[in-house]
Amino acid sequence: MKQHTEAPYWITLAHLPKWGTEKINRLVVKIVHDNLMSLETFFHAEDEWKDKFELSNTDILDLQNAKSELPNNAFLAEDLLSQGFEIVSINSPEYSKTLKNNLKIKAPTVLYVKGNKQILNEKSVAIVGSREADDISLQFTDNIAKKVSEQYKVVVSGFAKGVDKQALDSAIKYKGQSIIVLPQGIMTFGSGIKKYYQEITNGDVLVVSIFHPKAVWNAGLAMARNPIIYALATEIYVAQSAESGGTWAGVIDGLKKGRVILVRKPNEGEENANPILIEKGAKAIDFEGNIIENIEVVHNAPKLNENSEKEGIEKVITLLEKQTLTPKQILEKVQLNMSGKELAKKLNSLPNIQTLKKSNRIHYFVKQDNPTLFATK
Amino acid sequence: MTRQQAEQKLKFIFGFNHFHDNQWIVIDKILQGQRVLLIEKTGFGKSLCYQFPATQFEGITIVFSPLIALMRDQVQKMQALGISANFISSQHAEEENNHTINEALNGKLKILYIHPARMESVKWLETVRDKQLKIAMVVVDEAHCISTWGHDFIPSYRKIVTLVNLLPLNFPVLATTATATKRVEDDIKIQVSKNISSIRGNLLRENLSLFVINVQSEDEKMVWLAENLEKIQGTGIVYTGTRVSTEIYAKWFEYLKINAVHYNSGIDTETKKDIERGLMNNQYKCVVSTNALGMGIDKPDIRFVVHTQIPVSPIHYYQEIGRAGRDGKPSYIILFYNPNEDKTLPLSFIESGKPEIKKYQRVIEAVRSERLGLQGIGKITNLKQTQINVILADLIVQNIVIEAIDGKSKKYEYKYGASELDTQSFEELRKDKLKDFDEMLNYLASLTCRMKFLCNFLGDNLPNNCGVCDNCRNQNRQVVVTQAWKDNLADFRETYFPVLEVEDKTNNLVNGVAASYYGISNVGQSLHRSKYENGGDFPDWLLLLTLKAFHRHFGKEKFDVVLYVPPTKSGDLVKNFAEKTAKSLNCSFLDILKKNRITQSQKIFQTGLLKKDNLKDAFIIENPNEIAGKSVLLIDDIYDSGATIKEIGKYLSKLGATKIAPLVIAKTINADLRTENNNYIPTKLAITKIVPFVVANTLNADLQTENDNYIPAKIDIENIKGILKKWRLEKATQVKLPPYTIFPDATLNNIVEKMPETILDLLDIKGLGKILIKKYGQEIIDIIKQNKV
Repeated sequence: MKQHTEAPYWITLAHLPKWGTEKINRLVVKIVHDNLMSLETFFHAEDEWKDKFELSNTDILDLQNAKSELPNNAFLAEDLLSQGFEIVSINSPEYSKTLKNNLKIKAPTVLYVKGNKQILNEKSVAIVGSREADDISLQFTDNIAKKVSEQYKVVVSGFAKGVDKQALDSAIKYKGQSIIVLPQGIMTFGSGIKKYYQEITNGDVLVVSIFHPKAVWNAGLAMARNPIIYALATEIYVAQSAESGGTWAGVIDGLKKGRVILVRKPNEGEENANPILIEKGAKAIDFEGNIIENIEVVHNAPKLNENSEKEGIEKVITLLEKQTLTPKQILEKVQLNMSGKELAKKLNSLPNIQTLKKSNRIHYFVKQDNPTLFATK
Repeated sequence: MTRQQAEQKLKFIFGFNHFHDNQWIVIDKILQGQRVLLIEKTGFGKSLCYQFPATQFEGITIVFSPLIALMRDQVQKMQALGISANFISSQHAEEENNHTINEALNGKLKILYIHPARMESVKWLETVRDKQLKIAMVVVDEAHCISTWGHDFIPSYRKIVTLVNLLPLNFPVLATTATATKRVEDDIKIQVSKNISSIRGNLLRENLSLFVINVQSEDEKMVWLAENLEKIQGTGIVYTGTRVSTEIYAKWFEYLKINAVHYNSGIDTETKKDIERGLMNNQYKCVVSTNALGMGIDKPDIRFVVHTQIPVSPIHYYQEIGRAGRDGKPSYIILFYNPNEDKTLPLSFIESGKPEIKKYQRVIEAVRSERLGLQGIGKITNLKQTQINVILADLIVQNIVIEAIDGKSKKYEYKYGASELDTQSFEELRKDKLKDFDEMLNYLASLTCRMKFLCNFLGDNLPNNCGVCDNCRNQNRQVVVTQAWKDNLADFRETYFPVLEVEDKTNNLVNGVAASYYGISNVGQSLHRSKYENGGDFPDWLLLLTLKAFHRHFGKEKFDVVLYVPPTKSGDLVKNFAEKTAKSLNCSFLDILKKNRITQSQKIFQTGLLKKDNLKDAFIIENPNEIAGKSVLLIDDIYDSGATIKEIGKYLSKLGATKIAPLVIAKTINADLRTENNNYIPTKLAITKIVPFVVANTLNADLQTENDNYIPAKIDIENIKGILKKWRLEKATQVKLPPYTIFPDATLNNIVEKMPETILDLLDIKGLGKILIKKYGQEIIDIIKQNKV
């Protein structure tokens, strides 16, 4: 990007409302590749939008509206750049080739980064897993991170609780390099940049975000960034997965796309969905990360059927006897194969469950019997 | 829009009939979405070049300006014309700034002025990104501040440069300045690379009569002003080189019953505003100021601008005198020049304008290991804040350090992949500034038209002479200091006592007073003799002077007890002095304030924070009842940063003292030696040796720091030593006595070590008595001056 002067144009284009990544990228290809134009020139060549770029009237209106925000985005870009963040656009030689190869036309149009950009084009390994991972999974993560670092490969992490954080901290411990793929805008990651300041300035950690720089965390963004973690990596290791949630969804998606995904074979007695993933086509690996050939998987993973749901709800009720929680909070504590809305619907149908509005959110709890003056056994 | 149509609107909104030709050229380009750099003299009407388009554009015009006074001024003018305008700056409370920003967001403002430092405000950043805020134009006032080659580079302007380069094509940008050499103009155009055209008008100010008055001493400056200031009709500004000298000159005028006030950046905001108002209303004959005043003051009838200290370059000078005569009426511009002394201060700025490279490395290492704020950097590096500011500004310009916003504070980060520090540019800048200073000296020595000289330096090619400067009129001014004036000056110096500004609302410490600045009236020498040369107790005349200061400041106020600051090293000098003071004032003297741990000498520490830490909880009174409910006069010999007094004040307040007032013998110049605009005065030159009485000129003498004596790099010491030896032999031969009777070798070594530049400096040389100084002092000084490179 010539001296970052095109940053406002990239920001404006990358976050065009109602345009998906694919549509935006197709336009970028037309501008930069087919017509050898800069974004700046494109934005000021409105008379060519219809014919040369074959844009519809709606598209033209969208772009005109976006164009009016360029001065505002110039201020944003100045703030971004002055704080040491950078923009790597999809046409930049610094853009991750692995990411482009894996996602192709759906690769993020821009990456907001801070740190050593060269890491983007090193061999990289994603280590993923549950937020509520067991100790064995965390140890596995540490082990793999060690091996990866010794091989001068980069660990890609989502910075979530559990396996993600372990992967990052282990990579740092073993003096390796890592990429943090954020579930939020890069300018909202102040505490993280403070925490990993040394590693960033030493060139060992690169912080990456695909979202608007000021986007705050939400579950949707967390889900949206998972494919990026996978796509940035040449190898994917799964420490532990449940049969729902982000890790599960990411692996299933990866398998659909033909990625090679290495899943830790669980020990006997472990309760997780790793065996199911192996059955579905992931490769089993041992604690050392070696592929186990001809595996016979006995999975102890809880089957997701009516019994399973019943058990889950029972766990929820036990929880709500002691605490007052929102559906989201409940799902963080109890693994259920349902969304927050579905859970709320289920809870509303139960007789003993009451609701309470707190901080603008509906909380659930189990209705207690009226206390009597004298305790009875 | 045609010119005719525009002028109709001009008449309706602003009341003017026409634009000047250059104004219309600029406005026309701006209305077409172009970028323009406008270089025009003060009084041209540059502001109209953006104010008019602002009224025509849909959306808000953002004007960046470093001049708070100007912003205030302009906003008032706009509001008076019914144009909605406001400004945000550090002088407003946060709520007020936020309110203004909200007004902008809600479309209630046409023009918003903003100081570049405010660009980091979280509220501002959120608002300016909001697509609801329609931004129509950006204006960069005082655009010369963009250029490091310029005379007034402001680090926060680099953000504006980045911003302007990010703004879209066909987005109008206007940069304005009255003072830019060709080099600066080219630099601005390179930095703001997108299609900016420049328009330069002529810089001739026909109504300004320029004079240079050569003097031999500060006394001559003061006497000339005493004799002539009131003869000049109207109000004006007297510029001095340092904050201390603003006070001294203002006091001198007060002594002469001339209505004057001092102004500098050390004064609180409200007082500054009052003084600015007073100046605008012609309440004073003159305001004595550092270059903090005047920038942006839009007063049409400043009738004189006097400089008691030569600026570092003709461009600085042109800018500072530019305040005068905006109404086009005749105005007087006077520059005093003492060729023996006045080069020192500007040269010290230039030669030491950048701290040593190793200090840069210290800061780089500090931020590499940790994300730090200014205080944190100061603590780790033990560098003065002014040095750190200069270093950080350079490191940010070179993209080695980033200034990040962390909530409400700033943190400095090392940028991964940063290049090595480029010191070559420092050297180039230094040489460039030396060249400009040479030009300033050429101006002083010039026998031809002075206005022509200045304008040509700035890139104008003036064909004719001005006809009104001293050279054009063939007038040379001399100053004669009569005995009467000498007596007046001596009397004045006995009445001027520097205030110790330590008052704190969180405790019972009140402002105090010093008997003198260190170095004035032999005070420094006397203190030095007692403290370091076994000269015995502080002499009685110091006591008398201190008592005079006390009565002047405190009047008839009585104090219950007198305490003294326990010294770092043992010795009873201060104790004995305090006891005598108590006796003279009929107060109880209590020897009860002690140190409960060893502290280091404060002068080791460069930062206020470290000085404070050194003294924290270091003082104790065993029986606090002796203090509770009492008013305390706290005595010390020397006041520097005030950290000791403040720490004791805090402690005694906790013990129940109802008032603590400090009374000291001498206040160091370090405590007050600042110039404006972040000019860094290196410790080694922020000296206690002072030109007689008035201005705290820094000299090329050493300050005994912890580590080393400063010896200017370019002086061949051995050569000077040899010459002095030869001279000594000649003198000794003349009087038929051995050379050591003139002065011994130890004294000779002391002379070449300290390189005295004035007679007063010689008083500090061990082994040189007054008689010898009287006989040979000037010859020694001349030898040194002639043989320095």
